[in-house]
Amino acid sequence: MLRRATTPTVLVVALGLALLVPLLGDYYIHVFALVFTNIILAASLRPSLTCGQLNIGHSAFMCLGAYTSALLAKHYGVPFELSLLSGALLATVVGLVVGYPALRLRGVYFAMVTVAFVEVIRLVAAIWVPLTRGNSGLSGIPKPNLLGVTLATKPSQYYLVVGLTVVTLFILWRLERSRLGLTWKSIGLADNLAQSLGVNIAAHKLLAFAVGCFFAGVAGAFYAHFIRFLFPPEFGFLVATNILVYNFVGGRGHFVGPIVGAVFLSLLSEPFRGSAYETIFFSIAMLLTILFLPGGIITLPGKLAGLRWGRAASAPTPSPAG
Amino acid sequence: MTAALLLQSAIIGVSIGSIYILMALGLTLMFGMMHIINFAHGAVYMLGAFVIYYVFFQGGVPYFVAFLVAMVLLGAFGYLVERSVYRPIKGGIEPTLVALLALTTFLQAAGYPVFGQLDKHVPPVFEGTRNILGVMISVERLMIIPVAAVLVVGLYLFINKTRLGAAMRAIEQDKEAAALQGVNVHVVNGLAFAIGFALAAAAGALMAPIFKLDPMMGEQPLLKAFIIIILGGLGSIPGAILGGLMLGLIDSIVATALGAEPAFLLSFVFIIGLLLFKPTGLFGHAP
Repeated sequence: MLRRATTPTVLVVALGLALLVPLLGDYYIHVFALVFTNIILAASLRPSLTCGQLNIGHSAFMCLGAYTSALLAKHYGVPFELSLLSGALLATVVGLVVGYPALRLRGVYFAMVTVAFVEVIRLVAAIWVPLTRGNSGLSGIPKPNLLGVTLATKPSQYYLVVGLTVVTLFILWRLERSRLGLTWKSIGLADNLAQSLGVNIAAHKLLAFAVGCFFAGVAGAFYAHFIRFLFPPEFGFLVATNILVYNFVGGRGHFVGPIVGAVFLSLLSEPFRGSAYETIFFSIAMLLTILFLPGGIITLPGKLAGLRWGRAASAPTPSPAG
Repeated sequence: MTAALLLQSAIIGVSIGSIYILMALGLTLMFGMMHIINFAHGAVYMLGAFVIYYVFFQGGVPYFVAFLVAMVLLGAFGYLVERSVYRPIKGGIEPTLVALLALTTFLQAAGYPVFGQLDKHVPPVFEGTRNILGVMISVERLMIIPVAAVLVVGLYLFINKTRLGAAMRAIEQDKEAAALQGVNVHVVNGLAFAIGFALAAAAGALMAPIFKLDPMMGEQPLLKAFIIIILGGLGSIPGAILGGLMLGLIDSIVATALGAEPAFLLSFVFIIGLLLFKPTGLFGHAP
């Protein structure tokens, strides 16, 4: 666990550095905008993971947000604030429909249903050609706008995603620190014990999952208006696994884990982006982390120094049985 | 749809269903004993098909020998995975699932540089067609059914009639009690991994002459197997067999009538509906 005083300092320094990125030029703006998108995705998976639910289909909800927002803006000229919200809400509603039957059961049912759901959404996007243009890809998506002003330049779009990330992280952090977050944690640690104390575990798991779907939709909507081209295979199984990898490699014991994981892995894998070696790199990082550093990267300084984060870091990351 | 087309789709459905059963049996067996879902099953199916490509097609070894090579090689790989991935994680279900997921994406991605970017094809092993009740079915597809049946019966006999099979059933009922009775839980779990991997390899090896080969080819059968074990009930072997046949028939008949994608979407919707009303599947017992 980070010491209280250091957390805000680290955050302010990180944010300050993030604001300076546009000085580096367009290439880095592009790379870092995607890093921030990945941070939103990774952090939004955390509530579900905290409840001990392995969601291996997060990219499906990103896809829903992306297509909804893109189509609303493209065909009906809906402003970005509204189209983003609609995308996120649709992702939430679909998440509720799929999650409701699956979350009442053991974790593995949910994991399998989410994996299959990625394929379902990818197929729908691919075969509903009149709406999505199928596998030819959806192009001509308008640039994002804010309060009626189009964000035409790359730096302005970059600041938009930084803003979205800050808001998302703030909300998720408040949730985690709230009574609700504690309840989720108790479900993840021992769901039968939580149930015996009167916690409605199915409802809480569903809520945590829906929160995650909402922010995955937000990330997808930004992605759609930033890249301005959507292609169903981009939202496949591999993206979903990457989001999971950010969480596990970063570390599940603390809120900053997925953020660290997303930044670290997105930047390190940048040289191989789009090739098979990207996936090879991710999977090896994942296997090595699980086998040799079960708490993730955030426990590494503690393990190395053995002083500052000491005991909390060396304690095994609690993993729910179920 | 005419009666002849329906019959033809039904026979092909049983043949596809046999492949699904081979996939689902290993998954359900491993779930019953270790409460894990082997995400790497699809990648093992893919490797089984590639063994046929290299050993049978490139190496010129007889098909059934290559088939056995695929099963033995990947069975040994399964034992190794138990030893090097499952066992060190010490029963943490979530980390195990994620590690198996990582293994899957690794095998798939590594397939591209290792096997090449282009799709591979294996020439037909059994030429010609056979007339069954007035419809023509290719012998290639027909041969899947008896081979799969032999493997399923073999597995049934192994689990129910041998000491090792009894050990597997004991672990499924109560791991600690089994260990107290002198069952070497690690070795028997490793055996379950080996059997599951060997069956998935057999499924891939049977499909190799029918479909094109590429590193992602295991994805679809894996998702189908997931649907089957949810349908049949996790951990239930009769459920996996019945579910496999049902999904094979749905797949073949609906796909002939409407196309492959609607068939998959339909089976997914069906599963979500089933989970609402019968959460443990057709044959599953309460979790």
